[in-house]
Amino acid sequence: MTIEEGAKFVAAAYAIILAVLMLYYVLSARRVNTLKRDVQLLEQEVQRRQIGAGGAGGE
Amino acid sequence: MKQLVSAPVLFVGAGIFLVTGLLLAFLYAPIDASTMVYSQKIFFYHAPIAETALVAFGVAFVAAILYLRSQDPRWDRLGVVSVRLGLVFSLLVMATGMIWGKAAWGTWWDWEPRLTTFLLVCFLYVAYFVLRSVVEEEQRRATFAAVFSIIAFIDVPITFFATRFLPAGMHPTVITMGGTGMPGSMFVSFFISMIGMTLLLVALIRRDLAVEELKDRVADLKNSIGG
Repeated sequence: MTIEEGAKFVAAAYAIILAVLMLYYVLSARRVNTLKRDVQLLEQEVQRRQIGAGGAGGE
Repeated sequence: MKQLVSAPVLFVGAGIFLVTGLLLAFLYAPIDASTMVYSQKIFFYHAPIAETALVAFGVAFVAAILYLRSQDPRWDRLGVVSVRLGLVFSLLVMATGMIWGKAAWGTWWDWEPRLTTFLLVCFLYVAYFVLRSVVEEEQRRATFAAVFSIIAFIDVPITFFATRFLPAGMHPTVITMGGTGMPGSMFVSFFISMIGMTLLLVALIRRDLAVEELKDRVADLKNSIGG
C-alpha cells in the first residue's frame, strides 16, 4: 500500500473520531444549557405558586 | 462541593494534549516499517480511545460496587454516565479499528479474539441500557443495573488480555510486560494522546454528571408543581 492510499484510511479514521467527539461535546453542552434554563423556569414557577398560595391564604 | 479543576480547564487540557499527540504522531513518530506502513498512524488515537473506553467501563464497575454498598443514587448516575461514554468511545474504537483492519489486513472484520471480545463488550453494555429501560422503579433499576454492570465488566479484562493469552489473532499487542514494542518517539506520541483522551473522558464524565443531576432536579421541580 502506498503512502497516499494509507493516508486516505488515516484521514477517514481521524475524521470519524473528531466528528463524533465534537458532536458529543456540542450536544452535551447544549443539553446542560437547556436543562439549566428548564430548572430556572421551573423554580420561578414554584416561587410564583408559593407566593400565590401565600396571598390566597392571607385573604 | 467545590471542584478542584473546572470542566473548561479539563477540556482545554485534553485539547492541548490531543492536538500535541496528533502533531507528534504525524511529524515526529516514524512511519511504521511493517506491512501496515502509513495506516499505522491510526494507532495514535485508536489505542488511547480503546484504553479510555475500558477505563470508562472500569469506572462504571467501581460505581456499581459503591452503589450496592451505599444505595446512593450519585453512584448510579456515575455508572450510567461512564457506561454511556464507554460505549461512545467503543463505537469509535470499532469504527477506526475496521478502517485500520481494511488498510492493514485487507478486511473490515475478522472473528479473532480481540475484535470478538470487544464486540461482546459493546453488546453487553448496550444490554445495560436495555435493562435500565425496562425497569421502572428507580431503586430497583439502579440495583439491577449495578449488578449487571459488575457482571458485564468480566469481559473487559478478557478483552484486554485477549491478544496476550491468545496470540493466534491478527490484532497486534503493542504493550507487553517486556516493554512497549515501539520506538521511543512513537511511544511519546501515543502516551501524550493517551493523557489527552483520559482528560477528555474525565471532562465528559463531569459534564454528563451535571446533565444527570439537572435532569433529576427538573423531575423534582415538576413533581412539586404537579406537572
